[in-house]
Order: sequence, then C-alpha cells, then structure tokens
Amino acid sequence: MLAQLVPSPELGFGGVAPAAGMRWQLTPLLYSWGLYRKLSPWRTFVVEPLTRQSGSVELFVSPEYLDGRTDEWIVRAGVHATFPVLGRGEKVAFTIGAGGCFGGESSAEIEAGFSLLYGALGLFVTYAPRLSLAPATAMLRLRWF
Amino acid sequence: MVLKRLAPLALAACVETAPPTHRLVHPSRADAHLAVSWIGHATMLIQIDDRFVLTDPVLVDTIGGGLSHRKVGVPIDPGDLPPIDAVLISHMHFDHLSLDSLEKIEPKVRRAYMPEGGLVYLTNFRFDAVDLARWETVDDRGMQITAVPVHHVGGRYMLDTWMHAFTGYVVRYHGVTVYFSGDTAYAREDFRETARRFPSIDLALLPIAPIHPRAIMESVHMDPAEALAAFADLGARRMIPMHFDTFVDSVDAPHEARDTFERLVHERHLEPRVTVLEIGQQKVLSQLH
Repeated sequence: MLAQLVPSPELGFGGVAPAAGMRWQLTPLLYSWGLYRKLSPWRTFVVEPLTRQSGSVELFVSPEYLDGRTDEWIVRAGVHATFPVLGRGEKVAFTIGAGGCFGGESSAEIEAGFSLLYGALGLFVTYAPRLSLAPATAMLRLRWF
Repeated sequence: MVLKRLAPLALAACVETAPPTHRLVHPSRADAHLAVSWIGHATMLIQIDDRFVLTDPVLVDTIGGGLSHRKVGVPIDPGDLPPIDAVLISHMHFDHLSLDSLEKIEPKVRRAYMPEGGLVYLTNFRFDAVDLARWETVDDRGMQITAVPVHHVGGRYMLDTWMHAFTGYVVRYHGVTVYFSGDTAYAREDFRETARRFPSIDLALLPIAPIHPRAIMESVHMDPAEALAAFADLGARRMIPMHFDTFVDSVDAPHEARDTFERLVHERHLEPRVTVLEIGQQKVLSQLH
C-alpha cells in the first residue's frame, strides 16, 4: 500500500500554459486473466506487478494535482485494460482505458500507454477534451503494486 | 581495489555470450539409473530411470530484461529436451524463474513445482503447477517431491522481499534420492534436519557462488567451503556444484568459485564423491545402486 503513495509525474498540454502535475493511482478492483488459473483472479488495491501486466482489467481512481495557470485538484476514474506484449507483460505491456475526470471541470477521457520493467515504468497519454486546464497529459508512470 | 572488483558487475550487460564447449543433443540415456546434465547456472536436467526433472530452467542468453547476459550459451536446443515430468522452481529471482525459458518448453512440461506463494509469479502456462509448503510432499505417479527449507530471500521485484517464496527440494524415485537446494546461504540446522528426514541422499546439487562481497553474500549464498560443509551436513553420497561461471552476478574473479572449490575438494580428498561439470556436460551415476 505504501508504494501507492508515490505519485507519477506528468505534464499537461493544450491549456493556456503547460501544467506540471502529480497523479496517484489506486485500484479498487482488478480482474486478471493472465494470472495462473488456480489463483483467485480478483485483487483490491494491492496488485502484484505480474497480476496486472500479464493481462487484466481494472477499475482505477487517480487523484491528481495540476499546477497550471490555476492550481487544481481533480480525480480521474474509469476502467483500464492491460495486455501483455513481451515477456508475458513483464517486459512490455500495453494499456488502454476510458473514464472521466472530475473537479472544477468534468470531462470524459481516454487513455493509452506502454509500461516496461514489470510495470514499474511507463509512458501514458490521457485525453480529456473538456478539461480546459490541460486536455492532454503525458504521464511518466511509476508503479510497483 | 574496490573499483577493480566492481568492474565485472558494471560490465554484466556487455558480456558477450560464448558458444558452449559441450552440446547436449541426446540427453536422455537408456542406460542411466541416475544421470545429471548441467545446462548452466542452477539448471540441471536430472534423469532417474524414466523420469526427467529440470531445475530452475534458464534456456535464454539474457535475463532481467536483457540486463544480464550468459557468459556461456545454452548448451541444448529446448526441442532436444525430453518430456519433463517435473520442473522445480526454487525461487523467483530472474536467474531462476525465467518466464521466457518456460515458454520455450511449455509443451514438454507436465507439471511445475514452486515454493509456497510462488504461483503468483508464474502466469497462466498450460502445464499444471503446484506450490509446496515447507516439508510438504507430493507423490507424482510414484515420484515423491518434497519442499525442504533453505535460507535465501524471496520476491522478484525488489519491493516484494516480504514474499518468502523460496525452497529447496528432495526428489525420490525408484530408490534414488536427489537434493536440489536452489540458492541458499549456509544453513546448518536446515541441512541437518533435511538429512535426518532423508538419511540416504544419493546426490546433492549445491551452489558454490557468488562469493563476493562476502559481507553481503554470506547471508544469501554459500561459498565453496560452505557448500562442502552443506554436503557433509546433508550426508549425501555424491555432490555436483552449480550456480557458477554462467552469469556475471557478483564481483568474483573469473572462475574463482570453481578454482577454489576444486582446490578444496582436492585438499579433502573428495574427488571420488564430487564431480565438477562443464556447462553442457552430462554425468551418468548409474552405478549408485
């Protein structure tokens, strides 16, 4: 759980000015289809790296702080699906997702990204067209569990 | 001096993999009651009559996402392996649980055995897999496999060291008993308790490296002298060393573990009981019984 307190840095684009930010990532519920079949495929909050990377779908909640023209806290929430690409997802995995962001403004959003090194390092792009502060964000994802 | 010692580790990703001197083409031996082939590191193909056991299979030239290269190439084409009755995984480190290697042999494997808690690191391979608690024994069509205690560290991704998924194994079949420790520090009480429960170990497969830096390694890895002490504690008849000269995983000098081990074996007149294999070599021990 403590590892989830480490935020991922990000940059927001498309607003009046580029916005630096931090995003935390929580997983209230995850189902893994890549996990060994004798184990329960369900996880809440604590997810072993390979359980996610080997193929999974999850609900996510991401509190986020954007430091742009005006400082703003938002919360993103939605669904991610992660697909293994190389090394059963341990080397490279691909994630797509959809959801919404909520705060001063609300918007639907879509997200996609690659992650390396059993998911510890990734590059994710999110597009939320109605979030005027930063409709597009690029996140360097840091994640352990 | 320190920099000189650390240099090999810094070069681990740059090591050029040399072709193996010995190649295993037909590892299955009709004449063998017990035969062992060293595929490198902790990967041993054990034949006991008609059963084949493969330990910690690493059948690729790089591990850890390409960060560590083999010094000597894999001496066998995975297609030349016989059907494997049991794969024994000792722990989750990249040089012991290689998912890429398991993919290469997936159709040949009947069942994998893992330490308790290890299945979460396996992913959904087609073969059957079971995890064994300490001292738990499974009867696999007449072959008994027991998880035995060793002293190492669990986990795979640095932050998961709270996982204690590591074990050694004892395999018994047709009157033959083989001990495989995986990685372990010198753990006298564990070895003696194993000897008490398995008083007739025919063959012990024990690691002899990495050695240095000893202050760090001694809590997780045996050096050659400790491996020989473990051999004595286990009361085994024969020993074959492993876990050396395959990957750059320490600051040991080239061949240091092997040279030290062979010197100690010679000084203690253990040559009749200890066989040091080259990568790709096979030893038939059919005269055991």
